[in-house]
Amino acid sequence: MSLRDLLATAFVQHAFYAVTAVALAAGAVGYFVVLRRQAFAAHAIGHVGFAGAAGAVLLGFAPIFGLLVFCLGAGLLIGSAGADLDDRDAVVGVTLTAALGLGVLFISLYSGYANATYSILFGQILGVTWGDVWLVGALSAGVLLVISLTYRPLLFVSADAESAASRGISARAMSLLFMALLAVTTVVAIQIVGVLLVFSLLVAPAAAAEVLTRRPLRAMSLAMVLALASAWFGLLLGVWLGGPVSFWITALASSAYLGARVSAALRTRRAHRMVA
Amino acid sequence: MLGGEVSLGGRNIWRDATFSLEAGSITAVLGPNGAGKSTLLKVVLGLVPLAAGSLEVLGDEPRRGNRRVGYMAQNRAADSARSMTGRDYVGLGYDGPRFGWGHDRAKRAVVRDALALTGTTSFADQSLDSLSGGQRQRMALAHATVFKPDLLLLDEPLGALDLAAQAEIVDLINLIRDTTGAAVLVVAHDLNPLAPIIDQVLWIARHQVRSGTVDEVVNDEVLSLLYGHPIEIIITPRGRRVIVGLEEEFAHPHPHGHDHSNEPAHEHLAEVYDEETT
Repeated sequence: MSLRDLLATAFVQHAFYAVTAVALAAGAVGYFVVLRRQAFAAHAIGHVGFAGAAGAVLLGFAPIFGLLVFCLGAGLLIGSAGADLDDRDAVVGVTLTAALGLGVLFISLYSGYANATYSILFGQILGVTWGDVWLVGALSAGVLLVISLTYRPLLFVSADAESAASRGISARAMSLLFMALLAVTTVVAIQIVGVLLVFSLLVAPAAAAEVLTRRPLRAMSLAMVLALASAWFGLLLGVWLGGPVSFWITALASSAYLGARVSAALRTRRAHRMVA
Repeated sequence: MLGGEVSLGGRNIWRDATFSLEAGSITAVLGPNGAGKSTLLKVVLGLVPLAAGSLEVLGDEPRRGNRRVGYMAQNRAADSARSMTGRDYVGLGYDGPRFGWGHDRAKRAVVRDALALTGTTSFADQSLDSLSGGQRQRMALAHATVFKPDLLLLDEPLGALDLAAQAEIVDLINLIRDTTGAAVLVVAHDLNPLAPIIDQVLWIARHQVRSGTVDEVVNDEVLSLLYGHPIEIIITPRGRRVIVGLEEEFAHPHPHGHDHSNEPAHEHLAEVYDEETT
């Protein structure tokens, strides 16, 4: 089977549409994760999702429903505590641990095959159905729509919560809204790259973009482009050369971040040399 | 404000505060750490309600989101080294609170004016985390004055700056007042750098607020009464005021409020030595 034939197969096409939707949402939300220094919260929500997915499988539901319930719950919990920066890490950490404990319990109770667990942890993009594509696409589009409508206040409150409060933007309300967006995005990203590699789409592209440009809108757009490129080429390489797609996506996104750091360092050095 | 009183978490912060601000005047808010200076600004912003008394802000009830009131918070973005340019940050002061799509055509010119007024144009396209403390403070002033407010509230604009940068910011505050005609309320922990430009002082200590001109408030009698122990003011030949008798107050700040742990304990004595060493 040639590469062209492979790319024409239904499962690769489903995967293509799904990664496109997920990468765009993850890139946009990821920009705010990096700006708000909430990578730990993003990490925790993914792992909480694992417990939700395991619970759903145990009860005989599709994993994505358990993911949605648990991720949204954790997001809102962290978001309501998150306005108080001092104990944010502690709240996130305890939420994370409690959920992982539940996940372990659910898995031990579940006597079925372990494949479901494996795909939650590492993603199973090539098993995506048309139904999944529609669900993932609708959720991602919803996230992008909300981000586009709340972009300025979200940026304002992330950059300067006190000034934003004086202008009538509540840090707590925006924090809750953002954690809900993050939760939904995490759920869809888990479909592609799994719980353990969710950062590859959520944090790495945005972190690279933040290194490359200081303009917020440009950085967010660049994060979306980098996430999309990682996802597309990751899928292509996985289909062409073999190996898990989530591995390729992670490798590309991490390389983008590394490349951004190296190019920024070189640029700084050149600037110094010109001054000297 | 007439007989204003504020309580936070059931604890009285200050009471019987009566004062008014004239348009085009500058008022310094002074007092020990945790006395409720920042709280006063939040009351004016409508973020903290009065427990008693009344307050009129520009002829209206205090309310959040009033564009005629500019605010520069103490823990502002410019200090937490966010990766955006000063121009973006000032732009957020303009349309940051607005939800929805669309681009405001007037924004560019308004932001440009605010940058020009505060002398920040030349570094407006660098990221905030690459600026010096004084430059960031100027940028924060540009952010707060983007709407040319009629009332400008500044929380510790001189904090964490060296003397030269402090003098520049004081000049800038004076310039902003002259250009916009705003009434300015400045929270500070040191009277002297601001003394040349201020018209009025609000001194908050031990739950009380005293207001008046510098001479009316910062004298032995009023401060001794306010603190409940003898305080002496020494006026140096250059007109600076050294306050003696507050060392204990500043060495043992009230246990609430903001973190000023890096400030020298004898702040009011410090400038005398500055004078000799600079």
